[in-house]
Amino acid sequence: MSRILVPCHVKGTVALQVGDVRTSQGRPGVLVIDVTFPSVAPFELQEITFKNYYTAFLSIRVRQHTSAHTPAKWVTCLRDYCLMPDPHSEEGAQEYVSLFKHQSPSMTFPKWLSHPVPCEQPALLCEGLPDPSRVSSEVQQMWALTEMIRASHTSARIGRFDVDGCYD
Amino acid sequence: MLQEESDLSLIIAQIVQKLKGSNLYSQLERQAWASLQRPEIKLESLKEDIKEFFKISGWEKKLQNAVYSELSVFPLPSHPAAPPEHLKEPLVYMRKAQGSWEKRILKSLNSMCTELSIPLARKRPVGEQKELLNKWNEMGTDEPDLSLFRPVYAPKDFLEVLINLRNPNYENGDSLSFRTHLGLIQVPLKVKDIPELKECFVELGLNIGQLGIDDSTQVPPELFENEHVRIGQKVLAEQDSAAAQQYIRQGSPTALRAELWALILNISSQPEDVLYYEQLKTNVIQHDLLVDSLIYKDVKLTASNDDYYFVFEDYLYQVLLCFSRDTSVLSHFAYNSASPPKSYIRGKLGLEEYAVFYPPNGVIPFHGFSMYVAPLCFLYHEPSKLYQIFREMYVRFFFRLHSISSHPSGIVSLCLLFETLLQTYLPQLFYHLREIGAQPLRISFKWMVRAFSGYLATDQLLLLWDRILGYNSLEILAVLAAAVFAFRAVNLMEVTSLAAAEAVLADLSTLKVMPLLQIFLFATVT
Repeated sequence: MSRILVPCHVKGTVALQVGDVRTSQGRPGVLVIDVTFPSVAPFELQEITFKNYYTAFLSIRVRQHTSAHTPAKWVTCLRDYCLMPDPHSEEGAQEYVSLFKHQSPSMTFPKWLSHPVPCEQPALLCEGLPDPSRVSSEVQQMWALTEMIRASHTSARIGRFDVDGCYD
Repeated sequence: MLQEESDLSLIIAQIVQKLKGSNLYSQLERQAWASLQRPEIKLESLKEDIKEFFKISGWEKKLQNAVYSELSVFPLPSHPAAPPEHLKEPLVYMRKAQGSWEKRILKSLNSMCTELSIPLARKRPVGEQKELLNKWNEMGTDEPDLSLFRPVYAPKDFLEVLINLRNPNYENGDSLSFRTHLGLIQVPLKVKDIPELKECFVELGLNIGQLGIDDSTQVPPELFENEHVRIGQKVLAEQDSAAAQQYIRQGSPTALRAELWALILNISSQPEDVLYYEQLKTNVIQHDLLVDSLIYKDVKLTASNDDYYFVFEDYLYQVLLCFSRDTSVLSHFAYNSASPPKSYIRGKLGLEEYAVFYPPNGVIPFHGFSMYVAPLCFLYHEPSKLYQIFREMYVRFFFRLHSISSHPSGIVSLCLLFETLLQTYLPQLFYHLREIGAQPLRISFKWMVRAFSGYLATDQLLLLWDRILGYNSLEILAVLAAAVFAFRAVNLMEVTSLAAAEAVLADLSTLKVMPLLQIFLFATVT
């Protein structure tokens, strides 16, 4: 099975930014690149290769046509794939990267996963950690107690932790 | 996991291809053929029997050492779409900076050439050849007039280039902000901090025996030294490079050092190697190169003036003059960010078949270059072996100390590591030195570029270079530099000028390297 380059059109980057690009001070941290495939017969995408230039995390979304009747929908293939382990340093900043089709059933239009599609819900807490709402209510009680003690300031000494006879 | 498997097979293919061209391959072939005579080799189980024979006779170990050597030296195969220059140096702005620096060096060399009207290379007349051959072992007695020659560059010129390195994608502005680095190096390379260094240099820990600490006269040798020597002898008997590299992290006994280094660098003096060296010697006799005068000048200025190394002056010429003519050194430019200066035969500009490298090995020596060779003279007395060891040390380690790259053992990373360590763990000292105009890197740069050769006492230097070989990294140079500053911090806090700071740090010959490193990494309260 030979592999060939698929002709594609890579549009310029668009910054995701709230507000007016001209007047706001900050620089956007997220840029979007649109890649379109001008009318090509259905193909199976095997690999995307590119050279990085200071992108730390990459997400890829694909607009998929499943059938003629249902409207096309966007599917997230890759979310926050790490290209630079430390975005403040040069590691990975100008590396060549390949993303592969991975263990997915072949489809006529690119739907492949290099990483499993993450669930949209927030991640479950791992076992062993106490319930946050219980902890916060207990902390609140302790805080109330310390406030009380601080308010009722006495001159009585707290005294040593004197277990009978242990200092003899 | 498919990706890792394909990476592994790529690495294996690359190593096999490299080794196929080597001497070892033909030797193994010959041995395999010869083994067919042996009674234990049966036709039915030919492959297994030959493999078994290799294992018993020690040839498998030699192959293992060769593979290990390849893995240590050559970078892993990169992405198939990456061009060769990406393998030399992935960051474009560093490649550009290295290219400009090389142009400057070349310009300097060419202008010296034109000024003095000396050709870059000339064939020696027969009389001169005879004379040089007779004097080969005492070239130091020669007193050519070198007054008009100047070194092509000195470490401090190189430091200025590194200070001006900028990443065009990194905005830190010229005014001081939380984004500018307080030291001289302004590029955001990733460097290790002390917790990561502790993990990396775990064998230097407080509870592990070290030569350089636990072999001092007050410590009874039964506690560590005797056993360590015994293990060293065993490692040498096994002839295992990887084991030797692991062993030497705790230092090498003086008696075993020469053999251990040769084992780690995978140098075995074969007749072919001696022949190769003799061939280089013939090249020296027949042709005179301009860089020869630079080498002479450098040796006269540095090693000859050094109390420890002046006795080896003749050896230095014998090694360095041959080194300049050794075209096998050109292969290291595949992973060196530098490129050899290239020139074309008159009238054939641009045609690769008529390209020549000058000098033939592509390395232009700078002021202090001969100090890379000098300490090795204590270990090796046979010129061809000394030569091989130096060449291997150069293409594995020393080249990184004078080329601009983002490699973790490259000089830029070492400088940044030094400055970051000092700034993080001795902030008061760093601030004070900065305030008085004595940026610490200006003092420590020359130590690191020379791998401390000529600054430390030789026994201490060799203990340091033991660890360079053991960890296959030059980062220890930056850690030692920071440790030296930490050691002399009290005095440095009292100085009020760069000259005074330099005076405090002028003499390192009394320092004991291993205790300094150990205290700085493992015993400093942060």
